[in-house]
Amino acid sequence: MIPVAARTAQRHRDVRNAYLLLAPTLLLLAGVLGYPLGWEIWTSFTSLSPLQEGGATFVGLENYRRQVSDPLFWWAATVTVTYAVVTTVAKLALGLGFALLLVRPFRGRTLVFLAIFLPWVYPAGVSVMGWYWGLNPPVITAYSIFLSQIKHAVDDVFGAGAWAFLSVILFNIWRGSSFVGVLLLAGINAIPPELFECAALESKSPWRRFWLVTVPLLKPFLALGAFLTLTSAFADLANVWMLTAGRIVFPVIGTHAYWLAIKVGEFGAASALSLTLVPFLLAALFILFRYFDPPERDAA
Amino acid sequence: MNPRPWWTKLGHAGLLCLAAAFCLFPIYLMLVQALKTPVEDVFGNPLIVRNPTLENFEELFEREGGARGFVGDALRRDFPFLDWLANTLFVFAGSVAATLVLSVAAGYALGRLKPPGFAWWRRAIFATYVIPQTILFIPLYQVVIALGLDDNLLALLLIYPTLALPFCVWMLSSYFLLLPKEIEEAALIEGASRATAFFWIILPMSRPVLVAAGIFTLGSVASDFMIASVFLLTGQNQTITAGLGTFDVALDELAAVAGVNLLAIPVVTISAIFARGYVRGLTASMLEGA
Repeated sequence: MIPVAARTAQRHRDVRNAYLLLAPTLLLLAGVLGYPLGWEIWTSFTSLSPLQEGGATFVGLENYRRQVSDPLFWWAATVTVTYAVVTTVAKLALGLGFALLLVRPFRGRTLVFLAIFLPWVYPAGVSVMGWYWGLNPPVITAYSIFLSQIKHAVDDVFGAGAWAFLSVILFNIWRGSSFVGVLLLAGINAIPPELFECAALESKSPWRRFWLVTVPLLKPFLALGAFLTLTSAFADLANVWMLTAGRIVFPVIGTHAYWLAIKVGEFGAASALSLTLVPFLLAALFILFRYFDPPERDAA
Repeated sequence: MNPRPWWTKLGHAGLLCLAAAFCLFPIYLMLVQALKTPVEDVFGNPLIVRNPTLENFEELFEREGGARGFVGDALRRDFPFLDWLANTLFVFAGSVAATLVLSVAAGYALGRLKPPGFAWWRRAIFATYVIPQTILFIPLYQVVIALGLDDNLLALLLIYPTLALPFCVWMLSSYFLLLPKEIEEAALIEGASRATAFFWIILPMSRPVLVAAGIFTLGSVASDFMIASVFLLTGQNQTITAGLGTFDVALDELAAVAGVNLLAIPVVTISAIFARGYVRGLTASMLEGA
């Protein structure tokens, strides 16, 4: 038996070591994310602009007020919400489909699994270029006539730039459903198979089993997948900005903020604009924690 | 269970084919295009390549140094593709290694040593994911310049780990939390230090989770386009991603597609080798995750 004094000394050492081990991670996050975020919050209350003579002045909530009264902001907000909802739902549905297809063993399972794993693994930093050029051929290639017909058909219905936006959505769904599929497959593996076997005895209808057993059991993983895809959607959009050199007819909050900062030079307004996303993302985070890591677990 | 009727099997097989086709088709198209000659790229069938050639790949390596002829000077930019390749390798490998070391350390601290409020530390680290990256590179540039790292690969080595770190710390700390206490206790009672127990018992058994964290980091790092393009300016300091971003598509389309493939091949191969471990590791960190 270890004496109590030795044990508390050990505990003290453990706690100290824990902070030492955490320090590099926290330092890095503070430097790369914390400081920039603080800068962004501060800037959103000022008129900071690289084009402006003299220093920035404190303008309070002016930047936010101006955004809210700008119809372009509301257009961007609508597009953002539509984009996020459409892609997230599609990715979850497809990903769940992939995962369920792969659950049971069959011949060639490894191959199909690898095929489904590939879109996420394929370096998106460059595949997004391939996608974008593929769907919006900048030069004459074998399929450009065919594609420009589709492009014009889509643009005729939804307005100019619709096809470009649609290709972004398709890219996001293509890559994201692969990630969610593999994540959910791993999630299903973490659930004791007896639960599914019991369900199979209880009900003959696969449809009922799906909604009453599979979906509730997978809920935490679905929440995690939804959260990760939602946050990555905004990163993808920044990529697309770079590729299209800003020829964006369907702006989302992210690209609009980027445009304000880089083209118009209004750092203050751009900061305010990108911070308008934070409450929604925090809400998403809150919902995630409710499903994935409820505080009741802290006791354990 | 009784054997399923033939039509369910057929439906299952059909869906599998559809899923595989959906996932592979764009990759296939990019591969096919990279193998085409300029003539076939314009006049051939988009779906197949009749006279596959590697000249687009060769072109990537040959462009280093002088351009060919007078017109060539204007139209054919030269670029140091070998440097890009080496830089990419360095940045990707370095970022994965750094992320793994940092997240194992933080995960072990939170999952095993459990400082006061560790559950909230975990949440706080994970929550950094929601920070919208949009224009953060502007203040980040100040940080990078203050450190004297502008136009330097080390800047990427500093920034890339933060793309994957929150999820990796989360994953590793849940895994370490779920490991039963007895695993270390036997060793500790024998007089081994925590460090010995960690390196000889815990680390070896965490391999799948480490693989999962590594592959997740590789995927996140390889998906970045913006950070690489913003922070790496001169040709010989760029990674493949940043370099390809400077291509003029109208002139160098085929070489660019070949470059895309050239980066994809090693990344995809590594990920495919570890694919099984990736799923196992994710599962291991999510057991009882509900």
